[in-house]
Amino acid sequence: MAYLELDNVDFGFGPVSHRYEVFERASLAVEQNEFVAVIGFSGSGKSTLVSLLAGLLKPDRGQVHINGKVVAAPGPDKGVVFQNYSLLPWLSVYGNIELAVKQVFPSMKRGERRDYIQHYIDMVSLRGSEWKLPGELSGGMRQRLSLARTLSMKPEVLLLDEPLSALDALTRSQLQDEIIRIWEEDRRTVLMITNDVDEAVIMADRIVPLTMGPAAHLGREFPVTLPRPRDRATLNFNPEFKELRNEVTRYMMNLNEEAKSLTRSVTLPLPDLQPVLPGPRVRVG
Amino acid sequence: MLGLWIILILACLVGAAAWAGKHRTVKAIDVAGLNFLTPIVRLCYGEEPEKQLKDIGRFIVVPVIAILLFLGAWHVVSEKIQTKSGKLPNPRDTLHAAKAINDFHYRENDKQAAFNLNGEERAQELERVEQRLEELKPLEAEVNKNVAAAKEAAKERLATKVAPLQEELDTLTAKFKDAKKQRDDELASLASQAAVGDEDAKNAFVGKVRAYRQLASDERDRLRDLRTEINDMRAEKDPEEQRALAEQTAIAEERQYLGKMQDQLTDSNRYEKVDEENAKLQEARETLYAADSATILKAATKVAQTEDRIDRIEESGYAKPATLPYQVKRSVLCVFVGFLIGSAIAIPLGVLCGLSKTFMAAMTPFIAIFKPVSPIVWLPIALIVASAFIPDPDKHWFTQWLWELPLLGEYKINPAFIASAVTVALCSLWATMVNTAFGVAAVDKDHINVARVLRLGFWSRLFKIVLPSALPLAFAGLRISLGVGWMVLIAAELLSSSEGIGKYIWDQFNNGASDSFANMVFVVFVVGIIGLVLDRMMIVFQRLVSFDGAPTAI
Ligand SMILES: Nc1ncnc2c1ncn2[C@@H]1O[C@H](COP(=O)(O)OP(=O)(O)OP(=O)(O)O)[C@@H](O)[C@H]1O
Ligand SMILES: [Mg+2]
Repeated sequence: MAYLELDNVDFGFGPVSHRYEVFERASLAVEQNEFVAVIGFSGSGKSTLVSLLAGLLKPDRGQVHINGKVVAAPGPDKGVVFQNYSLLPWLSVYGNIELAVKQVFPSMKRGERRDYIQHYIDMVSLRGSEWKLPGELSGGMRQRLSLARTLSMKPEVLLLDEPLSALDALTRSQLQDEIIRIWEEDRRTVLMITNDVDEAVIMADRIVPLTMGPAAHLGREFPVTLPRPRDRATLNFNPEFKELRNEVTRYMMNLNEEAKSLTRSVTLPLPDLQPVLPGPRVRVG
Repeated sequence: MLGLWIILILACLVGAAAWAGKHRTVKAIDVAGLNFLTPIVRLCYGEEPEKQLKDIGRFIVVPVIAILLFLGAWHVVSEKIQTKSGKLPNPRDTLHAAKAINDFHYRENDKQAAFNLNGEERAQELERVEQRLEELKPLEAEVNKNVAAAKEAAKERLATKVAPLQEELDTLTAKFKDAKKQRDDELASLASQAAVGDEDAKNAFVGKVRAYRQLASDERDRLRDLRTEINDMRAEKDPEEQRALAEQTAIAEERQYLGKMQDQLTDSNRYEKVDEENAKLQEARETLYAADSATILKAATKVAQTEDRIDRIEESGYAKPATLPYQVKRSVLCVFVGFLIGSAIAIPLGVLCGLSKTFMAAMTPFIAIFKPVSPIVWLPIALIVASAFIPDPDKHWFTQWLWELPLLGEYKINPAFIASAVTVALCSLWATMVNTAFGVAAVDKDHINVARVLRLGFWSRLFKIVLPSALPLAFAGLRISLGVGWMVLIAAELLSSSEGIGKYIWDQFNNGASDSFANMVFVVFVVGIIGLVLDRMMIVFQRLVSFDGAPTAI
């Protein structure tokens, strides 16, 4: 049995009358210490998947297991980096991390805690910005802070919801390397959501596409067998890399086409009615 | 005086800018909501001088011009508005009233201090007072002379002004009298003709009579108008005379004040009185020791009485009448007490409303019904309840305890004060409650998710997530509450006769002295400026708790 498991899950939003089914019979299995990337189009249900795995949402049917146990409630063992950072705007960089650390490691001594927090601040290169408020940080700095906060909880499972989407290409590749380095340092089970195929190929052990919603499920899997460490510069000329990337992209494009044709076939034929033309005006009464 | 202040403020600004650096100064100014000062600081740093000058023009010069225009318009309009209590006070009268109020305050303070002085200090003060009294004597004589001269001059001026009119009146009166006599004679002679004439002749006679009646009436009107004109001239106050009289009044007031001071430093002085009583006590004791069985009871009673009296004098202070600065302080204290009571009720209830939809549903009818109730309705109820709890503030332990407190005791908190404060609380708590509830209910879903992932308990979640994120809105509510409270307070004090600005207005309205109208107009500005300061203060707090630069109203 896999470490993190999504078992035949159905999930939908809204009341019965106008329900939006996000997942139907979605299954996913992630091994321990594995790095899995989930890619999908916007609105296909990626964030919902993260919430389900984290226990923030309850599946309508089916179950989520971690290490064989059913996930009933969210907790610090399932660390989430939210898509929109979810930083507390009235707390400083230090304060945001401190809140998490105090809650997760209540027995930690004061000095020890300070060093611990500083360690994570340094890890995401936010040294010097400890006392800035989130409002005073750039988008990328906020994402890094969000990452540091989640890592500081030492979660068993790391759920990253598009953690690098707001970054420019340069910072992005820098942080990709950073995440890989952290992951390799103390291996965790990581599930990363992304909408960038290259990113998925460079970082993940396995790529799982999410089909287009509604009623999405997880599609065909693509194992990434490229040896680590993966060097971005040489990778671009690696035929295996290029092949895999093209294959995934083609698969995603197909999904898109399929979804389009699906919606096309759903269009109802209109009844053949003659429009009523305005006639001469008649006085009534 | 004003110029001095402006220079002082500018100096402070430049000093702050030089010491703390431009950015910090600008930020501090922004937090304090004094943004109109920013261009001055920037100009000091030579930053875009043209733009800064334009900003200074717009945010400083234009308002100053507007104020000057307002003062001008006020001056013109006040001349035109004549009331039973005299003309509407113009800016100068109002400034004068302010000065008089200030003098009164300081003189009362002096008297109070004088009452408690003793020994060397008392002697010195007495000497100063007496010296000043000496100085006043020639001044007083001169002023009296001036007034007499001014009166004489005014009389003369009036006489010369009135004389032509009076002459016209006299000649016209005589002329009209003659004319009337002539007409009467004419009518008498016509009457005999008409009596024998036909109907036409008689009707013509009626016409003649009517014409003459009209003439007589016109003449009467003319004379009356002239008389009114003369009377108006007489009633008009001569400015020179007024000025002389004002000087005389000022000196008379100072004299009276010095006289009172003299009294407080001598006969009415606390130590003087105590000494006097001690002498009596000594005497009484001697009688007591010498007394036999027949007189001892009387002698002992006398000793006891005298001792009691000494105790009372030791305790008593100078019975200082309330001055406006004291009343202003008391009003501000009252509004804060009411505001604190209101907030202490509103914030917890608001938080509960925000947390629980059920609780909100339970509270909604009360909010809906009580929110629109006017302070005028709450006050009598609050007054009755407060008086029921504290029927006699001179005896009740609570008021006694309050009066003993070091800083608060001075303000003699009584049921009227408590009722006013409670009224303020009842009228002002709604804004805080509704805003707090809204802030708590509108906590970002993502922040709640963070709390869930961290498994924060109820209290941690409340204090670490919910309240901080509701704080800016709650403070916006508090700010509205304080503004409402200040408005309500003046009305409440006016009705409850709680010593404060409201009561001051009411007293001025009732006593109708020549300067009370100007005093009331001055109080308008006092109330406005204090309200402004309170609001600014709340803006500063609101900005300090706002984390994302949430917009704050001006
Ligand atoms: N709270 C909600 N109530 C109703 N529908 C929702 C809610 N949250 C999401 N949805 C719907 O569920 C679907 C999946 O949303 P989700 O946020 O998981 O998309 P996503 O794949 O993360 O998209 P993106 O890449 O833009 O972040 C969307 O169609 C959305 O409309
Ligand atoms: Mg998403």
